[in-house]
Amino acid sequence: MSFQPADNTPEADFSTRSFLIVDDFQGMRTILRDILRNCGANAKNIATAGNGSEAVAQLAATPFDVVLCDFNLGKGKNGQQVLEEAKVRQLVGPACAWIMVTAEKTSDAVSGAAEYQPDAYLLKPITEAMLRQRLARIWTKKEAFADIDRAVRQGDVAAAVARCDERLRIDKANAAELLRTKCDLLLSSGDLARAKQTFESILAQRDVPWAKVGLARIHMQNGDYAAARAMLEETLAVNAAYLEAHDLMAKTLQAMGDLEAASAAIERAVRISPNSVARQKNLGEVAMRLGKSDAAERAFRRSVTLGEHSILKTADAYLGLAKACAANDRPDEALRVLDQVDKTFDDESVRTHSLAVEGMVHQQTGNAIKAKEIADRLTQKTAAAGQVDAALALDTARLLFATGARDAAVELLQSEVRNAPENAALLGEVKDIFSAAAMADEGAALVEASRKAAMEQMNRGVLLAREGRHDEAIVAMRAAREAMPRNVRVLFNLTHVIIGKLQQAGGADPRLVEEARGSLAAAHALSPGEVRHATLKAALDAVVGAR
Amino acid sequence: MDNKTQPPAFPSVDMATFLASSAHDMKNSISLLIRGLDGILGSVDAKTFAAYDDLAQMTYEAKRVNGNLIQLLTLYKIGQDIYPFDPQPVALGDFVELIAAHSAELLKSQGVALEHASEPDLYWDFDEDLVAGIIGNAFNNAIHYTRDRVRLSAACVDGSLELRIEDNGTGYPQHMLEECAGGMRGVDFAAGSTGLGLYFSAVVARMHRQRERCGEIRLENGGALGGGCFILRLP
Repeated sequence: MSFQPADNTPEADFSTRSFLIVDDFQGMRTILRDILRNCGANAKNIATAGNGSEAVAQLAATPFDVVLCDFNLGKGKNGQQVLEEAKVRQLVGPACAWIMVTAEKTSDAVSGAAEYQPDAYLLKPITEAMLRQRLARIWTKKEAFADIDRAVRQGDVAAAVARCDERLRIDKANAAELLRTKCDLLLSSGDLARAKQTFESILAQRDVPWAKVGLARIHMQNGDYAAARAMLEETLAVNAAYLEAHDLMAKTLQAMGDLEAASAAIERAVRISPNSVARQKNLGEVAMRLGKSDAAERAFRRSVTLGEHSILKTADAYLGLAKACAANDRPDEALRVLDQVDKTFDDESVRTHSLAVEGMVHQQTGNAIKAKEIADRLTQKTAAAGQVDAALALDTARLLFATGARDAAVELLQSEVRNAPENAALLGEVKDIFSAAAMADEGAALVEASRKAAMEQMNRGVLLAREGRHDEAIVAMRAAREAMPRNVRVLFNLTHVIIGKLQQAGGADPRLVEEARGSLAAAHALSPGEVRHATLKAALDAVVGAR
Repeated sequence: MDNKTQPPAFPSVDMATFLASSAHDMKNSISLLIRGLDGILGSVDAKTFAAYDDLAQMTYEAKRVNGNLIQLLTLYKIGQDIYPFDPQPVALGDFVELIAAHSAELLKSQGVALEHASEPDLYWDFDEDLVAGIIGNAFNNAIHYTRDRVRLSAACVDGSLELRIEDNGTGYPQHMLEECAGGMRGVDFAAGSTGLGLYFSAVVARMHRQRERCGEIRLENGGALGGGCFILRLP
């Protein structure tokens, strides 16, 4: 074994880069500015911000190469919320290095969502050596990922994966990150087989927590919930505070229908990272379904409070809070929350949803006339809007039942089942609504009938295509799409039969190609990361290219 | 005592949480103290400022207290299953370099020279902050036992990562070697040694697991500089 003095880190070039320092203490901003200048940064390329809103304004006005952001920024947005807003509004791209400065190692600052993670966390006190080394490491990594990011931006996942493989052959320093990115790409494009193979080859060498969670994700997508759960339990036994594993565990348990256990899993994640807007909202939703309206109210309230300065705040948390308040016999407060939601979110579908909840509150307080009036308005609105999201449809159905519009409620629920006949969680909730309307048995039969009819209609076109009757197949799938506009499988199958027609015709009718692409994109938007998206996209590209 | 005059019982407190929140508060104060001391040390001339050595000693003590508080808080979080344990691949060359840069000043103030070495192209998965804490603690020990040199090195030995902190003193006393070998004996207030550092190191080492193997610490005498050696092995 040969020993040699540790290599010096390659000199990082600070002189050409622009920096933004975000800290609420003037003294700290001065210290960080001095450190940057000592590292070689040009004084006129260093900007500072004293709070979150100021930082967002600066980021919106000028692009920065490096952001040094304290997590704790006093009143208003915290550092994580600044980062989230910058990412969501695309004020920073993949080339920007974001360093989050924290006083101690704690999971409070960590949200758990990979897309909103900084490039590094640095513990105070920050020293010149620390910053130099960390930025050198980040810049080397960014360089290694430049080609991959470009391919991703162009939507060419296959090329991005190929760049990862090329890079993996020469770049030992970034090997783990490259492998992880490659797996994420394969997963998001739906290539589960290759993702699985990659995870397994990593785990054959070493126990790596993220690879285990990745495998669990694949088990889950394949519907093998028991295997996913076992894999996650194994990971959490070694790494009890692994947020991603807790979050996936909650999803797995929800899919298994074990809401009690799912709620416990979310609560564990919340103990580790109490500041996530989305996680508190999820906790509230599960608690509500379990009938624990007190716990639900607490969680929703927390989500609303945490979201005050966050771009990730959701109308669902407000609507959930209103429902929980109503369930806890405080209808006045429920109405106040709904008033707040209309003011906070400038969005027609949110207003419609808020109206549905308001109707339920009036019904509960005995104001049947107002409830009925709202139910009628909702029916008109939904008819005009064509398609609405599932949560709104379910709440509308609840109100329709409560105001005596039984047939309309049943029809709406049947349409929801047709749109997602394979979504076990949704079918469970629909059955709950039927039970609440004293239609448990009838409802279960209706759900089953709709599910079966949808499955048949989903596959009719594929069967016709198999017999070579491509034109009829397309007509059948178009009708299916008309009837079930948010059914992912229908959208995929429509793409599939169009590809069949294109292959048979040996030419690429641009209108058909466009229809296939549109259908594929709609499916991807509804349910990203499906296996069939990748295979159909490749098939479509091939038939267009082979023209 | 008359039962009627007995004061009402206090609501029971969770002592561990109480200690942890207090430690947290103390750490914040100590951080301010250290920042102030570092500021003064940086602004005066070591040769002409009479109280420089005293000030340096005060800073050293404040940093030691800060380090202890961080270890206490970390142990608390680990015990509560809320420590964000984050094993990541680390380039040992960079890691050793950074720790050396970070600690050189402190060691120099105690009249100790630091040398460091790492096997080239060595990468290993571990929680960087926790392992840095172990090494900082080992430096603090070495300062007490060395004559004037400390050496930090990293190498792959028998499929494990081996980090060694060695010195040229007379070696660790027998009771410490025994304590480390025989598990942690607990607090010994009289001797002024709380065992916190070694306990922290042992807990953190054990958190690093690979299938059936887990990390361990060892104290030995001898090694490259002929004095005490602190050895951390991670699978």
